[in-house]
Amino acid sequence: MAKKDKKPVVGFYGLTGCAGCLLSFIFNENEIVSLLGMVDLAAFPFIKGKQGDKEFDIIFLEGVVCSNDDLDMLKKLRAKTKILVSLGACASTGCIPAYRNFIDEAKYLPLMYEKVHRIKDKDPKPIDAYVHVDFTIPGCPPNREEVKSFIKQLILGKTPRLYNDPVCVECKLNGNHCLLDEGKICLGPITRGGCDSVCTNGRFECWGCRGPCPDANYEAFIALIKDKGHNSRTLKERMQSFAGLKLPDELQIEDAPDYVG
Amino acid sequence: MTNFTLSKVDLNAFIKSLSKNFDVYAPVKDHVVDGGSVRFKVVSDAKVICLSENAYYPLKELFFRKKEVLFKYSEKGLEVPVKKVKSKAILGIRRCDLHSLANQDRIYMREVPDPYYIAEREKTLLIGYHCKKAEEYCFCGSIDLQGNADIMLYELPGNKFLVEVHSDNALRLVESLKKIFKKTDIVIDAESRKIEGSNRLQKKDVHSFYDNPGWQEGIDKCLSCAACNFHCPSCYCFNIHDEANVHNMKEGERIRTWAGCQLKSFTRVAGEHIFRDTRKDRFRHRIYHQLQYFKERYGTTLCSGCGRCIRFCPTKIDFIDILNRM
Repeated sequence: MAKKDKKPVVGFYGLTGCAGCLLSFIFNENEIVSLLGMVDLAAFPFIKGKQGDKEFDIIFLEGVVCSNDDLDMLKKLRAKTKILVSLGACASTGCIPAYRNFIDEAKYLPLMYEKVHRIKDKDPKPIDAYVHVDFTIPGCPPNREEVKSFIKQLILGKTPRLYNDPVCVECKLNGNHCLLDEGKICLGPITRGGCDSVCTNGRFECWGCRGPCPDANYEAFIALIKDKGHNSRTLKERMQSFAGLKLPDELQIEDAPDYVG
Repeated sequence: MTNFTLSKVDLNAFIKSLSKNFDVYAPVKDHVVDGGSVRFKVVSDAKVICLSENAYYPLKELFFRKKEVLFKYSEKGLEVPVKKVKSKAILGIRRCDLHSLANQDRIYMREVPDPYYIAEREKTLLIGYHCKKAEEYCFCGSIDLQGNADIMLYELPGNKFLVEVHSDNALRLVESLKKIFKKTDIVIDAESRKIEGSNRLQKKDVHSFYDNPGWQEGIDKCLSCAACNFHCPSCYCFNIHDEANVHNMKEGERIRTWAGCQLKSFTRVAGEHIFRDTRKDRFRHRIYHQLQYFKERYGTTLCSGCGRCIRFCPTKIDFIDILNRM
């Protein structure tokens, strides 16, 4: 990162989202003072009063692009920063808000959104659908260790890298019993790890919040889940929950009826 | 050496006695926390021990730690952590796991003496258990098993173990516990040393199969999750990375962690080149390392035939079946 004596100017911003990913930075409560000492924090909702209008070295952006306002803001932020980091699942995969892409509009509009006009602006999409993204920190929410490690690596002049192994790796290292072997639909083998297998550590199956593992063998995985007696609709819904937009286009899971809330 | 008998009723007294000088580990089945799988855990009571099932995760994690801080670095230099390790007595180790432990010892105590492994491993008392019958995926009978325990337990009729003693330390220990170890003339013959139904692997020499189309069936089912690596009692590969101290970035730790050859990241090098980029290359490599490459170098297979890589593979890829059909 930049010159030795100059701290990088860093901003945190959110589009449509729950702010949970911004918190994954703050959750480093024992290290946050040191982390803040390494950077010139110029923008952060809730903790930085004035959202400074300056040029940034790094912007961490959470949230999904759901409206015209989101897109305008995204484009402005991209123009203001050297490095854009998509922080968390919404920004990286579209996450739960993007599930709307897989549901017929007539099914959800009458429920509660009839007076919210901006819902018709556009289909929810992750930020890389619109602008170039330099780095991704996935997860719903991201692992706080990963956020910390990411900042450390940038400061040290390293290129932060995305964890590419499946969730199973950390799950095994954590000594867990395989939930697939217990008959559950665990998306661990097709999901990018780096989360320290936090869900399966608590014996809750992986729902794929960190997006697809680049080396996933979908055919084998789908066959395995069907072999265990689960129907393809359940599997498809689960795979679409957090990362539906990032699944390969050619992926064939038997078509299932739309989910109705 | 003389053989002894040990009544199963006295197993508890044996453990209590061992506990004075050792952390006593044994296989334990726990339905609540481990999904009903058997794990090596510290025990203080014989009634929790489960000898009827092989352990879900292998023993190696007690010596070749999943995460080892090799040293701390700072501007002052390097500081190697001093490990304070209580001696371990491990009870209920099957022949397959003894073979794997002998291979781990070969790599980490003799090939490249590793102080971290040696600190954990030395002064360990190994108490083996001879299982009579193979589980579904076992094939240890097809492997020329190496490795010895200090004490070996065989099932005898009448709720007893026959105790074979293989080291001087173990003999001193057994002789000091005269109340529970009774001398006997019973010996285990060659036939009783066999494990029933464990000869599944018929094609032991795999070198001519490299381009055999038979691999494809396994490759198609492989999720590349590396469960086979992490359940394997023999696999000994690792990664090393540095972790800077967030409070002072000029300091930090160099850390060693387990690695798995089924992952693309395993052979990724500078410039993003990946040597074994295809699932096929990775799938075959593990089996060749286990059954051929290690044997060419050290005269014994790395594989112990414990079958964990099949039993705990999510898709249950039976590479023994695949090899036999080649």
